[in-house]
Amino acid sequence: MKRPTLRTYRRCVQIAVALAFILIPWLNSQRISFAYGNFLSFRLAGFPLADPLAVLQITLKNNYLALDLIIGAAVALWLAAALGTVFCSWVCPFGLLSEWAQGLGKRLLPKGYQGLHAGGLWIKGTIFILGLTGFLLFSTTPVLNQLSLPAWYSRIFQFIFVQGHLSLAIVAILLLLLIEMLSRRRLWCRDLCPQSVLLVLAKQLNPRRLQVAFDPAKCICKGHDHPCARACSLDLDPGRTTQLVGTDCNNCGNCVVACKKRGRALTFQFAPGPSAGPAACDLDQVSAPAKGTEPAP
Amino acid sequence: MSKSRFLRPPGARPEKEFLARCLQCGQCAQVCIFDCISMRTGFNPFLAGTPQIDPRQAPCHLCMRCSAICPSDALEDVPIEKVRMGFAKLDRTRCYTWKGLIICRSCFERCPLKGTAIILERGEYPVITDQCAGCGVCEHVCSQDAVTTIPTRFVR
Repeated sequence: MKRPTLRTYRRCVQIAVALAFILIPWLNSQRISFAYGNFLSFRLAGFPLADPLAVLQITLKNNYLALDLIIGAAVALWLAAALGTVFCSWVCPFGLLSEWAQGLGKRLLPKGYQGLHAGGLWIKGTIFILGLTGFLLFSTTPVLNQLSLPAWYSRIFQFIFVQGHLSLAIVAILLLLLIEMLSRRRLWCRDLCPQSVLLVLAKQLNPRRLQVAFDPAKCICKGHDHPCARACSLDLDPGRTTQLVGTDCNNCGNCVVACKKRGRALTFQFAPGPSAGPAACDLDQVSAPAKGTEPAP
Repeated sequence: MSKSRFLRPPGARPEKEFLARCLQCGQCAQVCIFDCISMRTGFNPFLAGTPQIDPRQAPCHLCMRCSAICPSDALEDVPIEKVRMGFAKLDRTRCYTWKGLIICRSCFERCPLKGTAIILERGEYPVITDQCAGCGVCEHVCSQDAVTTIPTRFVR
């Protein structure tokens, strides 16, 4: 039997989380209660977890440290600092839906179309700063919480099972998925999601986090056909490990799987840069991480 | 109950502070064993997802599970004597006992703070005192709709 790849494991985790957040409100309505909450703040058998952005908002607004929230946010940020933004690729249910939408679009629509794509932290960082200052200065409710799509995903099922109300947010999510399908881009995850900004900052603080390292000496792919780039769920080119790739990559592992039968140039490791020494490669710009220097954000 | 007249769960801070703290995570609604807390729906992004109680549908029984679980302390865990979700107003022209038809005592018997929040004047006539927590149980049980719970969200 073929051994399951990392991608299979990841899909299993994603689907399990997505199903869990349907199941939990239903279990609660059946009086079976060991977990509560949604992706903004969650409690599993008494242990708190929280969205770092939501915690940052209400902590700054109220000058108040709630122990549960600090623990929850610290766990999330620590995970990002140790393993990279694996929340986005392994946990987030919207990430799963978005990957499916993009995959469907790639299968159904003609090839060759390349939509506009910015990447990086520019747009989501702007939303992050505008939302945060807007909340601190003018608003009464943490507005960025309303932009959290995993929170809306879980809230839809809370609405259904707690009070039997079908939320219209489902239409907004489906519309966004349709746009992502038509453009075949992970628009929300790469460019817009303000929740990921703090996770990216936390991950950038730790240069020795888990990351995909590219060893140009082992790369056997010639020309412009990069299986790793085709496999990437975020349209990155893992062979070009520039700073942008380092910021955007969420350690889904698709490229590592794709590279496994082609020289194993891409591997997961807890250090920046390639495992072996520098070597010539037909891919250009294998630069900064090779010297082990990852500039801090 | 009109759409804007809703109660916040017990222990809620004054409305502005409450909104600034509420994470809209819905844990209070999920932990409520009386199913009285629901999450606010609608298009207002500033209120959607925050908890509310409609005492006509299901009143709060002051079990205080929600304020114990609230991760951001938007609901403070206070003793039930200090809870001020609202205050009940008794319309004596509709109350069975005050009209002199029958001795009803539904509200008195069900009140979580009976004897302090509702007292019986001359042993029969229910009177709501200023110790009322505003849980809405009396409004829920009154068959004559004589009791209205007015939220204290904006005062306190």
